[in-house]
Amino acid sequence: MLVPVLKSFDGDEMTDEMPKMTRFERRELDVLVTYADGSEFAITYDDLRHSCPCAKCSPLRNVDETSINLRKQVEALPKEKPKVRIVGNYALGFEWIQGCSSGIFRFERIWELANRRDPDSGKPYVHGAW
Amino acid sequence: MSDSPVTTHDPNADEKPAEASPQEQKKMEQAYAQMKRKMSMEEIGKKIKHKIMVLSGKGGVGKSTVSTGLALSLAQQGLSVGILDIDITGPNVPKMMGLDGQRLHVESGRIHPAQGHLGVKVISMAFLLDNEDTPVVWRGPIKLGAIQQFIGDVEWGNLDYLIIDFPPGTSDEPLTVAQSLPDIDGMVIVTTPQEVALLDSRKSITFSESLKLPILGVVENMSGYTVTGKAAPGSEIEIAAPAGKTLKATANDDGEFSVTLDIFKKGGGRLTAEEFGVPFLGALPFDPGFVRGGDDGVHRIVSDPEGPSAIAFAAIVSALQEQIIEDAGTGLEII
Repeated sequence: MLVPVLKSFDGDEMTDEMPKMTRFERRELDVLVTYADGSEFAITYDDLRHSCPCAKCSPLRNVDETSINLRKQVEALPKEKPKVRIVGNYALGFEWIQGCSSGIFRFERIWELANRRDPDSGKPYVHGAW
Repeated sequence: MSDSPVTTHDPNADEKPAEASPQEQKKMEQAYAQMKRKMSMEEIGKKIKHKIMVLSGKGGVGKSTVSTGLALSLAQQGLSVGILDIDITGPNVPKMMGLDGQRLHVESGRIHPAQGHLGVKVISMAFLLDNEDTPVVWRGPIKLGAIQQFIGDVEWGNLDYLIIDFPPGTSDEPLTVAQSLPDIDGMVIVTTPQEVALLDSRKSITFSESLKLPILGVVENMSGYTVTGKAAPGSEIEIAAPAGKTLKATANDDGEFSVTLDIFKKGGGRLTAEEFGVPFLGALPFDPGFVRGGDDGVHRIVSDPEGPSAIAFAAIVSALQEQIIEDAGTGLEII
């Protein structure tokens, strides 16, 4: 259940090759992400939080009912700008005052969200092992 | 003596300063040693360019094999590398690095690491044990002190990489190191292909989060055992594989064939990395040479520097180096 995002791209064709993210601007209700090719996308905080890749949130997206519940929980949280930290050189982490802050969002995941694609690629979450 | 609460110091007065009791003196000495160690840790942090922690949620997945392999593979690139074996109760890095029975050299209160294959510097609890059969039974605070001493009192010199090998799980050791050693690059998580409990995964994620350290990637060990052989050119070979499966191969024109048996299943490491959104650094083949090499003190990378395991390690190291920011950072502007 992704909210439509702003896209300042000429045409609807999206490239599968991910450009380098150059800017991450936190706004009141969403984040504006800018890439090296000049494209800009808005991702709402609700979308970002609903797609948290951590082991607690991910299984909840496997089933429609729990996914909707997760969405409702996320939408009920206060709208706040998260603290952002760069993880290694491959991901971003978000710290929220309330709600889950565990997920490490790979740049590829944010790219999928920006392009309104399912960041889980339609695959159900299966717990793995370290 | 005046009644005034204010006293003045007369340098000519023939008064001796009050002497500290032996207990107070001991406390002061301890505090001084602690302060010196802290300063030393900061100094060491600056001299070592990259610090990488190697961990796993469960035991027996080959952390020490991966730690020593990473160190040797980096050393093969001509880099100066050290290994800190933090597994206080079961240290086995020295044996793998051909340093069994070695003692550490101490000079002016500083511990000098032993040097193993390819000049890799090694510090391990094993060097301090009189007998390798003697168990180390230490409670938390003593263990913590030993780890801090291993970090603060060791003369590593300038290193490009320090690989830190931990015991399995999420206990005191990684926490102590993460809090003591500045600017750690992140963690490498070692796993085997089979699935284990959800609990371990959750613990590891929460753990890396609580330490505020990035996961540099997942390494899958014991990934597949490749059987090679010779048969009549063009002939079909059938091999009985695990789980009642039969694998088929065809001998090439020279009569050579190879089949990979996925003894512990396949792809768990990649799947785990994908699930948790962290990089997958690569898979290491199931290589009995690691066992023989470990026992004989000649690491597989040393005995067969161009073999499949050495090549796999080189690929993993390359992926690892890609994850480590050199200086420029990601160039991402966060507003």
